[in-house]
Order: sequence, then structure tokens, then C-alpha cells
Amino acid sequence: MSENIIELKGLTKRYGYGDTESFALKDFDLTIKRGEFIMIMGPSGCGKTTLLDIIGLLDRATYGDYYLNGENVASISARRQARLRAKKIGFIFQNFNLIEDLPVIENVALPLVYTGHTKTSRLKHASSVLKRFNLEEKEYYLPYQLSGGQQQRVSIARAIVGSPEIILADEPTGNLDSRASFAVMEELKSIHDEGNTIIMVTHNPALTVYATRVIHMLDGQIDTDVKTVADANLPQPISVKIKKHKPEINLPGDEGKHKPKKRKKSRRKH
Amino acid sequence: MPLLLKTHYKLARTAIKEHRTRSFLTCLGIAIGVASIILILSLMGSISNLVRSEISSLGNDIMVVRPNSTKDTVTSIVEELTSSYSFQKSNLTASDVNVIKQNEGVAAAAPIAVSVNTVGSEKNTLSSVPILGTNLDFIKIEPLPLRYGAFLSEKNEDKSVVLGHTLSLALFNTINSTVGKTVTIMGEKFMVVGVLDEINKSINFDNIDLDNALIMDIESLSQISGSTQIQQINIKTANTDGMAALSDNLTKTLIEQKHGDNNFTIAYGDAITHPASSLFNIISGMLTTVAAISLVVGGIGVMNIMLVSVAERNREIGIRKAVGASSRNILMQFLFESLILSFSGGIMGLVLGYILAFLLSTITPFNPFISWEIIAITLLTTIVIGVIFGIYPAIKAASRNPIESLKHYR
Repeated sequence: MSENIIELKGLTKRYGYGDTESFALKDFDLTIKRGEFIMIMGPSGCGKTTLLDIIGLLDRATYGDYYLNGENVASISARRQARLRAKKIGFIFQNFNLIEDLPVIENVALPLVYTGHTKTSRLKHASSVLKRFNLEEKEYYLPYQLSGGQQQRVSIARAIVGSPEIILADEPTGNLDSRASFAVMEELKSIHDEGNTIIMVTHNPALTVYATRVIHMLDGQIDTDVKTVADANLPQPISVKIKKHKPEINLPGDEGKHKPKKRKKSRRKH
Repeated sequence: MPLLLKTHYKLARTAIKEHRTRSFLTCLGIAIGVASIILILSLMGSISNLVRSEISSLGNDIMVVRPNSTKDTVTSIVEELTSSYSFQKSNLTASDVNVIKQNEGVAAAAPIAVSVNTVGSEKNTLSSVPILGTNLDFIKIEPLPLRYGAFLSEKNEDKSVVLGHTLSLALFNTINSTVGKTVTIMGEKFMVVGVLDEINKSINFDNIDLDNALIMDIESLSQISGSTQIQQINIKTANTDGMAALSDNLTKTLIEQKHGDNNFTIAYGDAITHPASSLFNIISGMLTTVAAISLVVGGIGVMNIMLVSVAERNREIGIRKAVGASSRNILMQFLFESLILSFSGGIMGLVLGYILAFLLSTITPFNPFISWEIIAITLLTTIVIGVIFGIYPAIKAASRNPIESLKHYR
């Protein structure tokens, strides 16, 4: 197993053609090592979610190469990609995305359906994961009977039930209050401490204290890439190319507060 | 893989249970189609069973000659339906009967000619009474139970008739003292020499309901009604061996006698049971077509509800794909759902169809006819319908883009 769990080279995602052409990702390079906790920040529409979808094998890049565990994803069949999603990747969404008609325990067991577990072993696994999140009493509740924080913990349980290597979280705290956010982040931290690679998109700069590396994106490219925590036990990122981009245009959607600061920092570094 | 199939099956069952009413109504659509097909097939089967049991009760030495005429085309059937006589185009004649009789392998031969006429008695006058014209051999081939009197005989061949049980009641309000009385047909007077016992077999290979019929000599019948058409010639063979050879022999003789006209069929054994009237075939064919159409409509109902289900569960599809379902998994999940819908509809229809057939059998002479072939074919058909009408919604579900699906309701 290679140390670089994810390698993206010259990744480009284009939507539309001709006049309507727009790029969600433009010539995007990124290398992620096993065990990193990466937070991706940036204004709306800068390509964060597209990046997460491509890493999660839900979407394909228009150009460029994506190596997952050293294997070029373009050469993997759609069926095996689905299996990889079930075994190697766990998704956490902003709006939880639980199936409303299924009880909590079956929602958690969902990825195991597609990895060939029997029903008893699925429920056993799911039950033990739910216990870890102190949700064992809620096993047969339906999702709508839970609070937002509980629902998000259920969806984290679903993401890790198949013991994947990569957890992809798209604004997991976006719909939660600060207490619930804290609980969720603590869970993610403990998952990370077990050696999982976590890639998380967020708008909340306060959460970056949990990350080992913070990436700011702008217009489909990396704006800044900063190592945050000096934790000697964690592998340190090395081969990240920080590309200079064209003079920035102040778009109305930009988050004005913290962005300029970070940008200045990055310039100083160069 | 088998494990996954089981999971798909369970998933589909839960999905169907969640929408009980909707699923039940969809099943009902299939069930009605299946029930009508079952009803028709079981009635058709029971009719040929009735005729078959009659033939076997008569013995296996019966042979019939039938004109096969031009009734095979739809236009001639329509023509036939709109004309007043049903057997106008028969090419069999009285001399054919005589030729057959001369064959040494033949013990008895009786023509069957049916005409419909008004019959009057001292009390009542009935219109459209079926009159069976035949000869003295008729009773040798097909022993009829007589209640009173005697069958036609050489002594009283002319001007005498035998009445069916029901007809006697209708004409004279009694069956006891009918023998010896007079009936009037087209101004001619005939004496009643015998009354039949109740037979209660409206479907038989003669294609005539003897309880309601008046039997007379064929010559007398042709005198009163101008001309007669022989719809069938019943033959009793001297022995049961060599039926095929005799049939070939008779065919040759008849073609010779009719100067090359080979527009007739000689049938024996099970071939007789094939319903005598092509009208019956056409009607049952039409009914089956209508039932098949209703099955197709039921199938469209399944497709419709599956499309609704796919649209409703868009987000679920997205979630399942995100956690690792392949397109094929999703396809199978939805295909199983439509299969279960149409298959349970099929079982419902099977039960419903047989209940209807049993109800019908209480008021008609039919016995519902159950065979595993009918059951197997019907259930197979529902599976095929489930696949045909379920595959499009399933493909639609499987080809959903997970990213788009997850954006739904966001």
C-alpha cells in the first residue's frame, strides 16, 4: 500500500460547452497521505463539493488523473468503483441523507448490504457501531424521530460501519447548532485518531483546529494549503504544489471576513 | 450473489408493504386480467371435458363427418353470424349418408340436420324450436333415454316426432300424456311417438340441445322446410380396430361420390371433442384477446406505479449509490419490486378466477377445469409481464446520477 492514498494530477471538471462553459476544478493537483485530516474551505461554487464527489467516485473528472491507493481510477469499472465506495469510502452529508423509511440500525447497515454481509452480521456490526455513538437505545427509531445531532451521528456511524479508509464529509456541521457540532467533531476526531483519512468541507473556520491540514480553494484551484497542527505523530504533507492564480476578482459570494487574511499569509510564504 | 438476491427480495417486500393500498390496487389490475384468462381457459377446458366424457361413454367406435367449408376465414364467420341458419353452407348430402352406410366397416350412419321452426300444439305455439332431422340409425349410435313411447321406427317413420323433455313441458305443460298427441309444423300435422328423459347436456358433439329439440325423420324435415343442410354425419363402426384405415377409406369414397369435392373432415377419438362450432372458437378467442388486453393494461399499471416509485425514491437511490450500490444493484432492486407486484397479482387472479369459475359452475353445467398447465402458464405470463413492464422503470432508476439524486429535497 502506498503512503499516498489519494493523488490528483491536473484534474479538471468542466460543465457545459462553448458559451456556457465553466470549470468547477481547473488543473487541480493534490496529494493526500494516509491519516491526514484535511479541511477544505472556500467560497460557494469554488469546486469543493465537486472535488469531494470525484474523490468519492460519484463523479468523473473531465481531464486529469486520479490515483486511489496508487491505482488509476479511470481504469476501474463502474461496478468495482461501486464496490470501492462500499468498502473504502464513507460519506457524511450536510443534510444527513438517511433513508426516512428505514430504522436507524438498517440505515447504518446499508453499506454492508453491498459488501455481501448476511443480515445478522450486518445488524451486529451496525449495533456495535451505534453503541460507540451512544445511540444503542435509538436503534429502531426512524430518522425523523431523532434530533439533528443524533441524525448526523447516525450518518457518521453509517460512514464508518464498513471500516473504510477514507471518510468524506461535506459540511457535516452545516445544519447543526454549536453543541451538536462539537459532538460531531469530537466523533470525527476520534475516528481520525484511529488512523482514518478524513476529508471535510466546511465553512466554519473555528473547526480548523481539528484538522492537520487546511486547504483554501478559489475558482477550482488551491488558494492556500496550510499545515495547522504540529502533531509529530501524524505524517506531514509534503508534495503539495501551490499554484499562483490570476489577480483575484471580488465575487459577491465570497466570504470577505477571513479570506483576505489567509491570502496574505500565503503570499508571505512564497 | 444469491445473498444479494435475497436482500433485493426483502428490500422490495418492505418497499411494497410501505405502500399497501397502492400496491394492492396495482396487483388488482394484474389480478383481474389473470382471473378472466383463468375463467375462460377453465370454461373452455370444461367444455371439451364434457364432450370427451360423452364420447367415452358412447364408446370409442364413433366417427363423425363434418363439412369444413369456408368457415375458417373471419368474413365467412361474420356472414354465418348474420344469416338465419348456422349451417347453410354444408356440402354433405343424403346420398353421402347412403354411400357411407354401404361401407362394410360401418355399422350405422346417421345424418344430423338442424332446422329452426315454429311448432304448435293444442295448447301452445313455440317459435324457434330446433328440429333435428336424422334417420333410424341415430338411436343406434347414441342411445337416448326414453321416458315414454318409442323412438322413430320403420313403422312410423313418416309424420311422427320425438320430443325433448323440456320441449314437451313447454308445448303440453306435461310429459306424461304427450305420446299420441299432435303437433303442427308449417301446417303439417305430426304425431308424438316418444318423449325423451331429461339429458341435461346442452354441450355435446352433435352441437344440439336435445332437451329442447324435436326429432323427426330427415326426409320429412326436408319436405316441410324446403331443403336441409346436413351439419354432421355420425358413424358407428363395426369394430374399433382400424379406425384410421376406415377413415381414409371413407374419405376416398366420399371424394369420389362428391366428384372431387374434399371440403369435409372425418374425425374420430379425441378429434371429435374439438368444439364442433367454429363460432365457439371465435368467441373464446375474442374473450381471450380481451382478457389479454386487460392483462396488458394491468402491466401498464405496474409500470406506472414503478415510475412513481422511482421518482419518489430518487434520493434513496442517490444514497444507496453513494454508500456502494452499483447500477446493477439498483436495477435488480426495482425489478424485484415489479416482479413481486405482478406475481402476487397473478396469484390473486388465480384464486379469484377459480372462485368465479366455481360460482359459475353452480348455475351452469360447467365443471371448473383445473390443470397445472393453466396455472404454470398464467404464473409464467405474470413473471414475463413483471419483467417487461418493470425493466424500463428499473433502468431509469439505475441510470440516475447519484449527485443529482442527492441534491433532491436539499
